[in-house]
Amino acid sequence: MIARRGIAVLAGAVLLTSITACSSDSSSGDGAGKTLNVLVSANSIYPQQQKDWFASVSAKFAEQNGGAKVSFETFASPNDELTKIQTAVLAGQGPDVYSLGTTFTPTAYATGAFVELSADDWGKVGGRDRFLPSTLTLSGPDATHEVGIPFTSRPFVMAYNKDMLAAAGIDKPADTWDGLAAQAKQLTKPGQFGLAVAYGDGFDPWKFIWAMSVQAGNPLVADGKASLSDPVTLKAYQTYLGWLANDKVVDPAAVGWKNAQAIAAFGAGKAAFLPMVSATSKVTLDKSAVAGKYAYAIMPTVPPGQSALPANGKAATSILSGDNLVVAKYSKNKDLAYALIKMLTSAEWQETYYKTFGELPTNAEYAKTLQGDAALAAIVDSSSKAVGTPFSGAWSQVQLALVNVVVQSVPNLAKGKVDDAALQALLAKAQSDAQAALDKAKK
Amino acid sequence: MTRVRVREAQVQQLLPGPLRMIVVAVLLLLVGAPMAYVGLASVNSDLDVVAGEFWPSHLVLGNYVSIWSTVDLGSGLLNSFIVCGAVALTCVAVSLGSAYVLVRYAFRGKAMILRGLLALQSVPGTLLVLPVFVLFASTANAVGVQIIGTRWALIVTYLTFALPFSTWVMVTYLRGLPAELDEAAVIDGATPRQILLRIVLPLSWPGMVVSGIFAFLLGWNDVLYASVLTAPDTRTAAVALQVFGATQEGGAIPPYGQLMAAALVCAVPVVALYLVFQRYLVSGLTAGGVK
Amino acid sequence: MSQATGRRGRIPWWMLVPGGLLMIVVIVVPLLAAVQISLLDLDQYTFREWLSAPFAGLANYTGALRDSSLLHAVWVSLGYSVIVTVVTVPIGVAAAVATHNAFRGRGLVRSVFLIPYVLPAFVVGTIWRIILQPQGIANQLLHGDGLWLNGPRSFWALVLVQAWSSWPLIYLLALAGLQSIDPLLHEAAALDGAGWWAKLRRIVLPLLRGPVALAAVIAFLHDLNAFTLPFVLFGVPAPRDVEVLPVLTYVESFQNFRFGVSAAMAIFSLILVLVPLVGYLRAVRLEKP
Repeated sequence: MIARRGIAVLAGAVLLTSITACSSDSSSGDGAGKTLNVLVSANSIYPQQQKDWFASVSAKFAEQNGGAKVSFETFASPNDELTKIQTAVLAGQGPDVYSLGTTFTPTAYATGAFVELSADDWGKVGGRDRFLPSTLTLSGPDATHEVGIPFTSRPFVMAYNKDMLAAAGIDKPADTWDGLAAQAKQLTKPGQFGLAVAYGDGFDPWKFIWAMSVQAGNPLVADGKASLSDPVTLKAYQTYLGWLANDKVVDPAAVGWKNAQAIAAFGAGKAAFLPMVSATSKVTLDKSAVAGKYAYAIMPTVPPGQSALPANGKAATSILSGDNLVVAKYSKNKDLAYALIKMLTSAEWQETYYKTFGELPTNAEYAKTLQGDAALAAIVDSSSKAVGTPFSGAWSQVQLALVNVVVQSVPNLAKGKVDDAALQALLAKAQSDAQAALDKAKK
Repeated sequence: MTRVRVREAQVQQLLPGPLRMIVVAVLLLLVGAPMAYVGLASVNSDLDVVAGEFWPSHLVLGNYVSIWSTVDLGSGLLNSFIVCGAVALTCVAVSLGSAYVLVRYAFRGKAMILRGLLALQSVPGTLLVLPVFVLFASTANAVGVQIIGTRWALIVTYLTFALPFSTWVMVTYLRGLPAELDEAAVIDGATPRQILLRIVLPLSWPGMVVSGIFAFLLGWNDVLYASVLTAPDTRTAAVALQVFGATQEGGAIPPYGQLMAAALVCAVPVVALYLVFQRYLVSGLTAGGVK
Repeated sequence: MSQATGRRGRIPWWMLVPGGLLMIVVIVVPLLAAVQISLLDLDQYTFREWLSAPFAGLANYTGALRDSSLLHAVWVSLGYSVIVTVVTVPIGVAAAVATHNAFRGRGLVRSVFLIPYVLPAFVVGTIWRIILQPQGIANQLLHGDGLWLNGPRSFWALVLVQAWSSWPLIYLLALAGLQSIDPLLHEAAALDGAGWWAKLRRIVLPLLRGPVALAAVIAFLHDLNAFTLPFVLFGVPAPRDVEVLPVLTYVESFQNFRFGVSAAMAIFSLILVLVPLVGYLRAVRLEKP
C-alpha cells in the first residue's frame, strides 16, 4: 500500500519534471545569470592544459554571450559516461551538452533524448558545411535526422619502428594484412616480435575484426540483419588470433595485454608494429625508448587471404572515430548550447584544440591547413579514408558481442591455439545476440 | 603490586607471545607485500609499471607532486572527509538508538525487523542507482531545491546504505552487555534517553568505532553513486582517483605511477584516523569499571 | 551470560524512526521502483519515457533465465563468495585474537591491517591487475607464465584478490566482539588451569559466535554484491569463469541498455540469496537474543 503510493509519488514527480523541462525552453541572446553544463572526457595526459582550456573557453564564451557561464564536468571512463547519460536522461536533468564517442552516437540517437538538428539549428552552430563531410557520417541515420555535431577526429593508424624495418630491409609497411603478417614474421627474432597486439583489451579487438570484415565486403550489420558468422568474419578472427597462435609474431604474454601493455612493449623496442593506435599515443611513445625511431602509417586495407581489394570491399583504414557534441532535449539553454558549439567548431578554436591535445579537427577550413604536415600525413590520410560503423541503435550490443568472442577465445589462445570449432560456436552466439538486439531496434 | 599487574596481564592473554608474533608477522606480510609493490610503483615511470618492472630504473618522485594538479585531489579528499565523517557520526547515533530498542525491548515483529535489515543489506547497489537518482531528481523538482550535485545527496545515500549493517553491529554488541546494568537505572526512573546516553553509550565504544569505521569506508570507497550524484566541486577522492586509471582510446597509457602515489596518499589519512580511534577499542566493561 | 528476553512497557519508538524512515525512502521505495522496472520492456528506445514503457510481465524473468548466462553467473557468484567467506573468517578472527592484548606497536599493527579495506575497490583492482598480468610480478616470483586474468585460473585470482581486500571487515567485527567478553571469564579460566588453546576454544570463540556469524553473513553479502573489483580486474565482457552476477547485471543495464532484463536478473538473484540467508539466521540463532 505504502509502496504503491511511493511509486505513484515518484511517478508523479517524474512526470512533473518532464513537463517543466518541455515548457521552459528559453531563447538566448542575453545569457546573464545562465550556466551551461557541458560533460566531456577527463584528459589525464594533459590535465593542466585541459583546465586552462576550460578556463579560456569559459572566459571567451561569457564575453560573447552576455556573461553566460560554461561549467565543464568530466567523466573518467566510457562506463562512467554511460551511467551519467542514463541517469540524466531518465530523470530529465543533467548536463546541457555532452561530448560522445562517435560509435556511441547511434545508441544516443535511439534514446530520443537528444535534439535532432533542424536546418535552422545547423545554422546556429555555424552551418553543416563547415565540417569535413566524412566526419558527419555518424551524426545521424541520414542527413535530415542528425543529433551529433562533429567535434574532434581520432582516426586509427599503425605505429612502426623505423630502425627495425630498415635493419630487415623493409622499405615500408605492407598494405595487405597477409603482407603485414609476412613482414612481422621476418621481423620476429629472439627478444623482438613483429606485432604488439592487446588481446586482453576490452575495447580494441572489435576494431580489427570490423576493419577486416568491411574490407572483405561484410559490413557486419545491414538493413537490420547481422552477419557476424559470415566466413570472412571468421577469417578475420582466425587472422587476428592467428598472429599469436600460428604465425607466432606476437609475444605470448599479449593474451593478457590491455592496450597500455601493447604500447609499453612497442615503446620498449620489443615489437616492430603497433597497429590500432591514435595520435595521442605520441605522448607516451615520445617519452619511451623508441622516441624518434618510430613513424605512423595507415593500416592495411586489403583483407586477409586477398592480394587486392575485392569488388564489394571498402578500403577502410579505420573506424570513424572521434567525438560528437550532442544537446540534451531537456536542456533549458539550447540556444546558448548552439552558440558554444559554434565557437568550439570554428577554425580558430579547432586549431587551439589540436595544438593543445593533438586531436584532429572536424572543421574543413582548418583541416585543409594541416594537410601539408608530413608528420601527420598518415593520420590525416586515415581520417579521410575512415569508414563509419553502421548507424544502428543496437551497435553498442553488436560491438560487445564482437569483443566477447575474443575474450572467450583467450584461454585457448594462451594454450597457443585457435580452435575453429570453438570459434564458430562463439560466433554463432555473437550472431544470435547481435540479431536479437537488432530485432528490438527495428520495431 | 607490579606482580599482580603482570599476573593480570597474563591471565588476559589470548595467545602465547611467540605464536602471536608469528600470526602478526604473517598478516603484516600479507598486507605489506602488495603495498610495498604499490610504494615502489608510485616512484616508477608509467611505462615501467605497465611492463611489470619491479625496481624503478630511476626514481620518479614527481608523481607525488603531479597528483595534486592532475585532478583536484585536495578538494576530493576534503569532500570525502566531510561526507564520510558526517555519515559515520550520524550513522553511529542512529544505529545505537535503533539497536538499543531492538535489544532491550520485546515487541512483535522484532525478528522481522532484524531479518529485514539483512535483506536490505543484500540489495545490490547497481540495482538502485537509477531509481535513487530519479528519486532525488524528482524530490528536488517537487520541493524546488537542488539535491543532486550537493553533498547532501551523498550523505543521505551512504548513511542509509550503512544503516542496516551498523544497526546489526550495534545489536550484536549490545547483546553482549549485561542487561542488569540498565535495569537498575530503569528502576531508578531514568528515561530511555538518559539510559542510552549515560549507561549504554559509554560501554559501547568498540561497537560504535566499528560501526563508524564501516559507515565511513562505505562512502570512502564508493565510485558508482559518487560519480552520478556529485558535481565537479563536490566530487569525492575515490572518483578523482578514477581519472588516474582512465585510458585514452587507442592512445597514451594511463598515469599508473600517479595512480599508485595517489592511492597511498588517500589511504594515509584513514589509517591515521583509525590509529586515533582504535584507542576506544577497549573493553567497555573494563573501561566502565563495572566489576 | 544471562540475557533478558526484553523489557516491556513504553517502547521509545522514536529511536527507530530516523533509521526506519531513511531506509524506507532510500532503499525500499527505489527497490519497489526497480521491481516495477523489472516488469517493463525498458531499453534504449523506451527509457526516456519509462513510465509509458510497455508492460512486459514476467517476460524479462523468463528471458533472463532462458537466454542469458544468469544461472551460470549465480553459480560463479555463490561459489566464489562462499570460498572467500570460508577463507577470510579464520584470517580475520586470528588477526583480532593476535592484536587483542597490548604489545608495543599494537596500535600501528591494528591500523595497518585495515589498509586493504581502506583502498577503494577500483584501486585494489588496478593494483592486482598489474601484479597478475602475464609478465607481472606474480609470474616473475612464481617463475611461471600462467594466465591469471582469463581462463580457469581467473576464478582463483578473483578469490585471492577479494579475500585480500575483505578480510579486515571480519577482523574489525571480531576485534570489537572480543572487547565485550567479561574479563572475569579469563580469571575463571586461569583458576581452572586452562591452557591458551583450551581457553580460546571453550570460552573465547564460543562467545565470539555472534559477531563472527554476523561477520560471515556480511562478508558473504559484500562479496556477492562486489561489482567494482571484478569489473576492474577482468573488464567487460567478463571472461566466462568470472562472469559474476553484479557484472552481468551491470553490463545488461548500462552497456546493453536492457534495463528491464537487468532489474529482473538482480531481483531474481536477490530472492535466491534471501532464502538460504533466512535459513542461516535460524541456524545460528542470530536474530534471537
